Amino acid sequence: MTRADSEHAYRGQNYEELAPLFVEFADLDKRDRRYAELRDRLVTEHLPIAQHIARRFSNRGEAQEDLVQVATLGLINAVDRFDPHRGVDFLSYAVPTIMGEVRRHFRDTGWTVRVPRRLQERHLSISAAISTLSQSLGRAPTPSEIAEHLGISREEVHQGLEAGNAYRSSSLDELLSDTDEIPLGDAIGSSDTELDEVENRAAIRPLLEELDERERRILVLRFFRSMTQTQIAEQVGISQMHVSRLLARTLSRLRDRIEVDVPAESLSD
Amino acid sequence: MSAPYSDRHPASVESSAPDPDTPNPATDPHAVEVRVMAVPEQLPVMRAVVGDLAMRADFDVDTIADLRLAVDEACSSLVRIAAEQSPLVGRFRSAENLLEFTAEVTSPEASGPRTNTFSWRVLSALTDNVASSVREAGDNADGHVVRIQLSKGRMVHE
Repeated sequence: MTRADSEHAYRGQNYEELAPLFVEFADLDKRDRRYAELRDRLVTEHLPIAQHIARRFSNRGEAQEDLVQVATLGLINAVDRFDPHRGVDFLSYAVPTIMGEVRRHFRDTGWTVRVPRRLQERHLSISAAISTLSQSLGRAPTPSEIAEHLGISREEVHQGLEAGNAYRSSSLDELLSDTDEIPLGDAIGSSDTELDEVENRAAIRPLLEELDERERRILVLRFFRSMTQTQIAEQVGISQMHVSRLLARTLSRLRDRIEVDVPAESLSD
Repeated sequence: MSAPYSDRHPASVESSAPDPDTPNPATDPHAVEVRVMAVPEQLPVMRAVVGDLAMRADFDVDTIADLRLAVDEACSSLVRIAAEQSPLVGRFRSAENLLEFTAEVTSPEASGPRTNTFSWRVLSALTDNVASSVREAGDNADGHVVRIQLSKGRMVHE
């Protein structure tokens, strides 16, 4: 499935011309300007591979954009660690490295407490079921509807939903903070006119500004636009359970920061 | 509402009488009461209880998640004003189409949660009804009983 079609090709795309660059890259000093330039180019050129691997893991309850970020991180690691002098081509090294990064994201970094694999998988299937059922019902499903859809018991759905509360969604931000030279943010950030409206009159603005773009957007949509979590999930492109976790985290962070009461009139439309 | 006789400190019938709006586990099979110390570390207990009740009532997943957030928010704001070494009491009632929650703490302050705050905005957005009240603790106890009451109904689907 992810094996290179030939030594330097992946899904019909040939990366052979990049091979000499790895040799040059490996011998460069990190302080050399050429080093950063080459690193950037090698990562960018191989991005389609990371994106493809991320797609293979979609529909498992994680946002596509998150997966692409994790896969890209795997790619960056692969570029940094690849040793062209060992006679292995880059693709054979990079693909398992990227896959490993994505798998690790699923297995470990997302969970704050040790949740058994079986429960994690149930959580992911429930997350996917919520998304499917929301589409077909036009509203959020109930646990009994999820149980029926998946052919499991209500009790199992309860356990899966509960497990979701032990899931940590900030792992990505933490992972990515080390790799800020790669402009991943460009793909994610987008202007939000709805937010502007609130920001203009909000005394809470400085606090909102400390949040990242997506957290802020979700907060605004839920509390100032009265959208449901399911609607937000669809609009933002992440799962409902993920929206729920982000809201819980954001509110708790804001609570820690709000010392002064915010006048209501500065918040209302 | 006002307490004109507070200096006489009567055996305060008003403050000890059961409130008809408060879920009472002694008389109501659908009521649950949880009593913990009013500290942030205990909030996961309240969240877990409301989440469990809402799941068992088969509320939709949005409502379940909103109720967890709302209970967390309400309890957090009460814990902040609670007297030291005092309890936080959460009372839950899960009726067929409605989940009601009341949280109360004893506070040295007579002023309850203010409604012109971001926190109150959050509570209002997450619930169908939310209200707060303050009364004298009574029964020779110092302070004021500050309460937040909220409820959220099942989403009605055609």
